[in-house]
Amino acid sequence: MNNILLDNLPLLILNQLVSVFYLITTFLYGADFFRDRQFAQKYKQPFLALTVFTHVVYLGLLTSIEGYKINYSTVNLMTMVGLTLTITYLFIEFTTKSDKTGFFIISFAAGAQLISSILTTQISTVGHPFTGIGIGVHLIAAIFGFSAIAIAGLYSILYLLLFRQIEQNRFELLFQRLPNLEVLEKLTMHAVAFGFLFLSITLFAGMIEQKAYSETINLLEPKLVTLIIIWLLYGTGIFVKPIIGWDIKHMAYLFIFLFVFVTILIVLMTFFSPTFHGLTF
Amino acid sequence: MNIISVGVNHKTAPIEIRERISLSEVQNKEFITGLISSGLAHEAMVISTCNRTELYVVPAMHEVSCEYLKEYLISFKDARKDVRPEHFFSRFYCGTARHIFEVASAIDSLVLGEGQILGQVKNAYRIAAEAQCAGILITRLCHTAFSVAKKVKTKTKIMEGAVSVSYAAVELAQKIFSNLSMKKVLLVGAGETGELAAKHMFQKNARNIVITNRTLSKAETLAEELGTNKVLPFESFKEHLHEFDIIITAVSTKEYVLSEADMHQSMIKRRLKPVIILDLGLPRNVDPDIGKLQNMFLKDIDALKHIIDKNLEKRSLELPKVQAIIDEELVGFGQWINTLKVRPTIVDLQSKFIEIKEKELERYRYKVSEEELQRMEHLTDRILKKILHHPIKMLKAPTDTTDSMPSRVDLVRNVFDLEEPNQSH
Repeated sequence: MNNILLDNLPLLILNQLVSVFYLITTFLYGADFFRDRQFAQKYKQPFLALTVFTHVVYLGLLTSIEGYKINYSTVNLMTMVGLTLTITYLFIEFTTKSDKTGFFIISFAAGAQLISSILTTQISTVGHPFTGIGIGVHLIAAIFGFSAIAIAGLYSILYLLLFRQIEQNRFELLFQRLPNLEVLEKLTMHAVAFGFLFLSITLFAGMIEQKAYSETINLLEPKLVTLIIIWLLYGTGIFVKPIIGWDIKHMAYLFIFLFVFVTILIVLMTFFSPTFHGLTF
Repeated sequence: MNIISVGVNHKTAPIEIRERISLSEVQNKEFITGLISSGLAHEAMVISTCNRTELYVVPAMHEVSCEYLKEYLISFKDARKDVRPEHFFSRFYCGTARHIFEVASAIDSLVLGEGQILGQVKNAYRIAAEAQCAGILITRLCHTAFSVAKKVKTKTKIMEGAVSVSYAAVELAQKIFSNLSMKKVLLVGAGETGELAAKHMFQKNARNIVITNRTLSKAETLAEELGTNKVLPFESFKEHLHEFDIIITAVSTKEYVLSEADMHQSMIKRRLKPVIILDLGLPRNVDPDIGKLQNMFLKDIDALKHIIDKNLEKRSLELPKVQAIIDEELVGFGQWINTLKVRPTIVDLQSKFIEIKEKELERYRYKVSEEELQRMEHLTDRILKKILHHPIKMLKAPTDTTDSMPSRVDLVRNVFDLEEPNQSH
């Protein structure tokens, strides 16, 4: 299969434009957080909305070529991670009215999109399209699940940094700009709850799809085992606090570990395994 | 027409001098009324607070200089023994305007960005206006100062962040807990410091405030004042420590009122939910080892001073923005002052042309119908307006050099043959 993007110049330009928009939005959120610039405060939200809109248009046009089916490839996976992270953050910003953590989330999304754009010009094929609602739900839920894991990890890092600053009487930039510890805790726990929900959907949809293909589920498959462990840890994370009163500081360490672990896993999977679970779509 | 200011403030004189020269509201009124009634000044106003006593005067005669006003105030206060003219600052014209703009926007205050000074300037203007000592110049000066202060407050962060220990304590609590109305606060000690901290907490929506004090009646009085009506006997408050998210201690004692063992038990009971202890006592009221407990934030006065220092540092970074606003307003004020200088010429010019118009129309009053006369009047008004537009615009235009304004005025007066202006205020 030829590279759709390399054969379609307007789409390629749009792909690069999305990356540029991500970089501008990251810059604006950074300028607001670190330098308190008024122009950044004014334009960061419109640019975030523009970035999401452009990204959705880009993905719409990209998938329209294949009958609105998403392909499994590093390029697409990374761009989807970027989009879901940003959408999740957008949702958080509008619901909590807290716009001071954007730099940390969007810079991560920008990184994912940038990798996607760079790889677009280097990889000759963009993967095989998925068919069926089940596999679509499985993939989308997995990507949203990862976004939630990433957000929980990033907020946990911010929580610990702010905790340290208060503990050590270093009332610096993070103390002045970040939301309070309780809000960061809530954001983390909400992200964890969403992550758990999406991971559950991922597992459930995956199992249904595998049955539909009349394939036996290999419970010892490393990717499946890893996913179940992560799912269990997240589930424990949600229930451990109200049940045994484990404090958020320890949980933050767990979420950071899971975030790093899952990120490494995804990078390894996307770079060294052309397909998921040994299935050919 | 000039406006001058002289005064004593925290930058020019120590507190003993400032106290000696300060004016009460009654004295203030008496002083400015005296200046006006004796014919020394056209307008006068005094700002007198604990940190400054400053006169703003539009002199009525050349003899009323800065030195004269300093001596006049010293004599008025009968303070010649303690206060000398060297304790005063002096400002003229735009310097005066800049100074009052800086005062109103709180960048000249002892604590940068403090919130009380604007009210004090407004009060000084009210006194001057009531005593009929504030004319066109002081009124415009004060209203511009109020507008500068408003802009500074909304467009900069000069007033953001706590700059007192009790407020810093609340700011810190808000950095840990999102909603103080949902948190239970224990105040140990009903003295002045504790009361201030409790009031700040109350202002930030903390409603569940419980007070304990060695003298129970004092705790009850404060609880009643705050409207919480919740007190705990001092002997038994430790049994309830686990119920509180925020504990403020401000008692005068040589022994710790909270020990590590007390708080350790309390943390177990509350399943390690975060607690903040604000130790505002001197000597400290709380065992420092408590700070080592998990999820425990123990902060004493020194720690809170770090917050104050950071906030003051942050405020000082806003100074260039404030100065830019002041500069902008100063240009506008200077231009307005210039229009004051040309106002007599504009009035004379308009009067002259209206006189000509009326004379000419009078000649036709009985030669044309009433309706035609009205039309002619309307027409001449429009012609006059167009003829006068450019000379008036030229007179009002900002000047680049100090001497171009008189030359413009002379030019217009000569060209239109206007009589010499009246020099009165």
